[in-house]
Amino acid sequence: MNLDWLDAFLIFGAFKVIEIMGLGLLVHLQLGLTRVANFGVVGFWGLGLYAFGVAYLKVDWPFGDVYQFLICAAIATIVAAAAGLVVGWLISDLDDDGTLVGTLGFATIVVILATTQQGLTGGALGLGGLGFPYDFGRVKTHEFTWLLITTAVVVLIFVYAWRVHRTPHGRLLIAVGANEALARSLGKSATAARLRMMMVTSGAMGLLGAMHGVMVRSLEINSLDVSVTLAALAALILGGTARVFGAVVGVLLTVALFDIVIQFYIPIPDGWNTQALPVAREAVFGAAIVLMLIFRPQGLLGQMRRPALMRRLHGDW
Amino acid sequence: MVNSGDTSVTPAVSVNGLSSGYGSVAVLHDVEFTVGHEIFAVLGANGAGKTTLLTTLAGLIPAFSGSIAYHGTDVTNLAASESARLGVGYVPQEAAVFPDLSVLENLTVGGMIGTRPHEERLEEVFETFPDLRSKLDLRAGNLSGGESRMVACGRALMQDPTVLLLDEPTAGLSPLYLELFFEKVAEIHRTRGVSIVLTEQNATQALGIADRVMVLSLGVGSEPMSADAVTTDLLREGYQI
Repeated sequence: MNLDWLDAFLIFGAFKVIEIMGLGLLVHLQLGLTRVANFGVVGFWGLGLYAFGVAYLKVDWPFGDVYQFLICAAIATIVAAAAGLVVGWLISDLDDDGTLVGTLGFATIVVILATTQQGLTGGALGLGGLGFPYDFGRVKTHEFTWLLITTAVVVLIFVYAWRVHRTPHGRLLIAVGANEALARSLGKSATAARLRMMMVTSGAMGLLGAMHGVMVRSLEINSLDVSVTLAALAALILGGTARVFGAVVGVLLTVALFDIVIQFYIPIPDGWNTQALPVAREAVFGAAIVLMLIFRPQGLLGQMRRPALMRRLHGDW
Repeated sequence: MVNSGDTSVTPAVSVNGLSSGYGSVAVLHDVEFTVGHEIFAVLGANGAGKTTLLTTLAGLIPAFSGSIAYHGTDVTNLAASESARLGVGYVPQEAAVFPDLSVLENLTVGGMIGTRPHEERLEEVFETFPDLRSKLDLRAGNLSGGESRMVACGRALMQDPTVLLLDEPTAGLSPLYLELFFEKVAEIHRTRGVSIVLTEQNATQALGIADRVMVLSLGVGSEPMSADAVTTDLLREGYQI
């Protein structure tokens, strides 16, 4: 595959866009449907990244690259899903404030563990040696292929979120999010529904973390940054927490704008890319959250469109 | 109508020495009554403990002491979802619908339990509340108070309940809806054979449809009595006016 026309940095920028889109879609299921305000997105994502990295680098697997990747990615997904189950159970009786603090606390624990368990994680120095589960010869081809594979995974996440809106489980999640006490009187366990949702979405966040590890080919403590959570939340709040397309539109207007359009197509002075731009990016994301919550809390795309969905699904009754 | 004193029939609801409340604060004190195949009205002023009684019966808050049984099965401190599976439908006074869901979805979430086809249950709800048929696609959060109450009641009926707990179903409704709603409650009992526990401040209307009545005052229940036997003096005493 001849990819000379494609800038390697553009591939990485697109990867970030796709990755945050995936996280935003998962946060949509948590916050938009079930009203679980997860401020620890980076914790679940980072746990997947580190579980994948440690399993990949510290275990002498008797398989080839593909199987090694699949098994380590499965481990990352399961570990993150288990964490989602435990955190979900711990926060199940907490109000919104408690949920925010609890999930933020979980993310902090993950960062501390990744920093202090040097024997496993490499601590502040990190660990190199992660690789792509294939070998086509050229790094750019590897990265572009990985971008396509990650895009396919995010498309699957989108389809899952899309379908959840149309299922009894999705309606139950919306009911639990809107009025948990009333939802409990419907004959289904609200706690079980929420735990299932936390487990599935956290596991998927862990899988995205593992896929990030392959792309950057290393474990770096700096990657466990609050900017991961901030980017996913800012995009979703801008686009609309209640809509599946909210995360897609939001990421295009935030991460894609900064990490692709401004970085590659706007003539900015040398040095800004590494210094001023990342700071401005965080500031703009933070400001976007504040302004949207004040002036249009339902986001650009607005509320859920259940009536339209019902008309499409059932026609005129 | 089943006379609650008839020991040969298992009551739909049996409440014995029930105390409950919030945190460490007791609101209900040693409440006792049984409900047969009838409409049982719990009357009382604001703050009497009517909502606390129904939320305890629905399993949404735990009982401090005493027992609750449905059709002879002890459900004291059973999870609300388990009570619902035993045939208990609950319609709260406030926030009785899921606002983001459409009317149709509000009804279908009520039908998540039970084995009868949804369509069959929906048709029965439409027979009771025909106005809902034309509002299925509307967002429940945009409905009027009376329409919301119909949706909430319809959702509870989708659960195929044998016992229906209605918490002040006419609170805040216009006189037009108020009369209609009491008629509907009587119709649900008559046509579906559902035992109904109804809390109300509006004593006159409630007495018009109830078989028996208990007056709740500061969390203490009176001896249940026939609706026909209730006098103004008894109500004054119960309402402490």
